[in-house]
Amino acid sequence: MKVKVCMGSNCTLLGAMNLLDQIESLRELIEENKEYKDEELEIESIKCLGYCKETDEDIAPVVIVDEDVIFKATGQIVMEKIMDKMRIKS
Amino acid sequence: MKESYVDLINIRRKVFVEIAKMAYEDTDLNELEKAAYNIIPGEVAKYRENIFRERAVVEERLRLTMGLNVRSMSEFTRVTEGIDEVNVDETKFIPDLVNVITFACEACPTRALKVTDNCRKCLAHPCTNVCPVNAVSIGKDRAIIDQDKCIKCGRCKEACPYSAIVEYQRPCAAVCGVNAIESDHLGRAKINQEKCVSCGRCIIQCPFGAIADKSQIYQLVKALKKKGNMYAMIAPSFIGQFGALTTPEQIVEGIKRLGFKDVVEVSLGADITTLHEAKEFLQKVPNEIPFMGTSCCNSWALMVKNKFPEQYKYISDSASPMVETAKYIKKNNPDAIITFIGPCISKKLEALREEVKDYVHFVITFEELMGMFVAKNIELSEIEISKEIQDASTLGRGYSVAGGVAEAVKKTAQTLDPSREINVESASNLADCVKLMYQAKAGKKNGYLLEGMACPGGCIAGPGTIASTTRVRKAVEEFKNKAHYKTPLDNELIDEELKK
Repeated sequence: MKVKVCMGSNCTLLGAMNLLDQIESLRELIEENKEYKDEELEIESIKCLGYCKETDEDIAPVVIVDEDVIFKATGQIVMEKIMDKMRIKS
Repeated sequence: MKESYVDLINIRRKVFVEIAKMAYEDTDLNELEKAAYNIIPGEVAKYRENIFRERAVVEERLRLTMGLNVRSMSEFTRVTEGIDEVNVDETKFIPDLVNVITFACEACPTRALKVTDNCRKCLAHPCTNVCPVNAVSIGKDRAIIDQDKCIKCGRCKEACPYSAIVEYQRPCAAVCGVNAIESDHLGRAKINQEKCVSCGRCIIQCPFGAIADKSQIYQLVKALKKKGNMYAMIAPSFIGQFGALTTPEQIVEGIKRLGFKDVVEVSLGADITTLHEAKEFLQKVPNEIPFMGTSCCNSWALMVKNKFPEQYKYISDSASPMVETAKYIKKNNPDAIITFIGPCISKKLEALREEVKDYVHFVITFEELMGMFVAKNIELSEIEISKEIQDASTLGRGYSVAGGVAEAVKKTAQTLDPSREINVESASNLADCVKLMYQAKAGKKNGYLLEGMACPGGCIAGPGTIASTTRVRKAVEEFKNKAHYKTPLDNELIDEELKK
């Protein structure tokens, strides 16, 4: 599973590094819990994708979970999404 | 910074961007009346009970960021009241630095021990048995603490097997190491400015965002637009603050693109301070003074001055790295106008001191700088630059992490005089600094070098930071290892005279 966190100026201003810290902190939760997949959680910081330059709306910070682009990303939404996708469905 | 206070942090930073933009775009300052609508758009409240209060608080933040005082709610005052005075291109400081936005304050109750729902009214009820003033009794549903009798010793809390008793404290007062938080007539937090040393911990700790400091970004941007001789110096904790992909070189180049002529590492000044303090220690301790305190943290020095006036003379006479770096810049560029960029708000006060004000003209935080980058549309991680930064030694670059100052001074002093054994002790929050000084006053730290820092973990935890301390600590370590000079004695930018 691949998570990308935008490190553009706007996203950094509005907490991108904190999101990165929060996402990275999920690794140990997933590793020590048998209910979660063995799949690696790949986390990448990426340069500005320019989404916010195309609109006047507030969309920072931006996080991409696999193909899913999340605008105005918050820790709870992004973490829930990742944890949900990594969970072994019975 | 308290990373988990996401909404508060974002509002604070959006205000910085708004003000920096107004300065860059020469916006008519009457527009300040509308600015809160940009930050809090729409008609539905998101943070507080209604949108009017949300905007009112943002308006006070806009004023403070302009350098203006908070308004009194009891009389009609325009958002722009007093604006002419601060619409200038030079430092304009109207005291006080740290302010409570009274109508944002929720008047949290003061420190008390409280019984929660967890209480099972157990048969043993140790809470009542251990109370030294017989303030705890068993009521109809749970234990009851008589707040008039309670002396807040906390023994009932320790004794309870259900964790049913909690110690409640106002977050602002809990982190204040000098007991400067009092209450006004409505029970709201009030800062005793005589006691406050402007460490800024209450600003980042208040969960309602009711405390804020003043900024100088508006006046700084105006100066940058008009003047050519603007220099910046950046504190050692800058590494890793501006995005996970941004290199130190890109940060420095980004600052230049804001209009600064050049940028110098404050770690260079740290090297100079180290040499001064090492020599001072060797010369004065223990014959002239029983122990020596470091001088770089302004809040620590102010705390000693206020609470331990007799011992204040034992704080090193050496100027702080901020001041030494400014002197270095001034030596080569006598007409330089110098801006300190750091994690610290206490430096905003240090820069106003009589012996400092001719060297340091503006002080801003990393958060405020980030606001300027965004206002000016600068994408740091996309800047192409290869020029290495080599202003300072490994030891100088370590100043921002607790223990780093003492380590630098100790190592340097021992190189200058290998026969000397030097004991050091560090404290890195104000409450611990106060304790350390009580011990020193009692003669228990004679012969010691005492390192005092107001922020937990050192400057990397300053109130004006952006990245977490863990992240920055790691980044600072890497940057230290890239320094060509190992100690201040190797630093070729420093006058040889000083190294003897």
